[in-house]
Amino acid sequence: MNTTIREEGNLYIATLDGRLDTAAAEQTAKELQPLNDCKDHDIVIDCSALEYISSSGLRILLNIRKHAAATKSKVTILNPNSDIMKVFQMTGFLNLFDIKND
Amino acid sequence: MDDYALDPHGQMLLEEYRESLPDMERLGEIVTAKLEEAIAQNGIVLNTIERRIKSEKSMAGKLKRKGAKYSTIDDVTDVLGIRIITFFNEDVDRIASIAESLFRIDWDNSVDKRKTHQFDSFGYNSLHYICQMPPELMHDEKRPRLNEIRFELQMRTALQHVWSAIQHDIGYKTDIETPMEYHRALSRLAGLLELADNEFSRIRHDLADYRRRAQLLIEGGQLSEVTLNADTLKSYLEQRPFDKLNRRIAAINQAELYAAPTADYLTVMRNMGLNTLADVDTMLRDNAEDAYQLALLQLGSTDIDILADTIALQNLCIVTILKNGGGRAGLKRMFDTIYGPAQHNEETAQMILKQAERLSFMSNNP
Repeated sequence: MNTTIREEGNLYIATLDGRLDTAAAEQTAKELQPLNDCKDHDIVIDCSALEYISSSGLRILLNIRKHAAATKSKVTILNPNSDIMKVFQMTGFLNLFDIKND
Repeated sequence: MDDYALDPHGQMLLEEYRESLPDMERLGEIVTAKLEEAIAQNGIVLNTIERRIKSEKSMAGKLKRKGAKYSTIDDVTDVLGIRIITFFNEDVDRIASIAESLFRIDWDNSVDKRKTHQFDSFGYNSLHYICQMPPELMHDEKRPRLNEIRFELQMRTALQHVWSAIQHDIGYKTDIETPMEYHRALSRLAGLLELADNEFSRIRHDLADYRRRAQLLIEGGQLSEVTLNADTLKSYLEQRPFDKLNRRIAAINQAELYAAPTADYLTVMRNMGLNTLADVDTMLRDNAEDAYQLALLQLGSTDIDILADTIALQNLCIVTILKNGGGRAGLKRMFDTIYGPAQHNEETAQMILKQAERLSFMSNNP
């Protein structure tokens, strides 16, 4: 699982690459920690290369959303594959995020 | 330093004014903080609260005009002024009551401008209190003056403030030289705004009354008499009607339920033709088992252990749409409503439709 964060204007863009399963969650959470301080920035989580997300991964995204909401920042999930969309739908979390496809 | 061509008495008062400025600043901070805290505790939403210390130039002008009537600077009661602008008439009175509980009020110099008009005249409406901060509210032994300085507290509604600000801006004075037509025009506007203030209060009161009545009907189970709207849905959800189904779905994987917003589902349900809370209740009663079966189908083979607490409502809506023959288009419309129109809604609808084919009721809804 590879995670990168870059800043573009008023955006923080996090790219997730691989399988965000329970084993990868702890490290990924640490790597995404800087997003918790996102004042004056919206967040884009680029899931183009994300193959799988577990409950632990969902919790990480929900945590990012919680911190973003506190500073009125928007969180967009970019290009989730159909399996990830399925997870969002069947957990009822789809409407918590702005989902966009290129 | 500029003496503004004041007489010796005026210059003495101006010097007292200058010396009092640090205490005025500090008092202004304390009083504003105390007011903000008490107003928030009482659940009153303000338009704004502002404070100002009379400028030296303005003070000098006042002393030039009527300095002789003041023995000391303490006789000038509006050096520190705090203005509270409310949205509603009745909030002015509630804030006045808060001020009376916090401060010592100099009633001889306080004035309720709202009561100074004749029955057939309209004009400046505002409540002005002259106050002192009592030691029991705050006392600083190094600054005893903080409990001695009098300050002015103005309380008015936003509309009263607009009228007052515009009147001030256009330089209107109530002297006899101003042509009658301008007096009449401003008076007419004051009357109009007074009427608008009363209407806003009436609307707020009627809405609160409506919510109370709806709440009683919901608590009494008379759901067919309660129209489905944002207010009534909120009251209905306070009864936690979906908890049982949520818990049943969560039990599939011993999942944690995460609070999520339900507001988007109001439009979905209205689009589905649900008009009263009884319709929502019927949807729950008639479709809970199928909504659970859908969740079982989706979650049973996964280890997902976190769910939104809207999962029951989401699945109920999906099942109801499918039972009513809404098919893929109906599901897409639901997702378009909740998430905004997007291509992936079509794919999500198709995915659910395929999963739902295995549900027993779908054999009657091909």
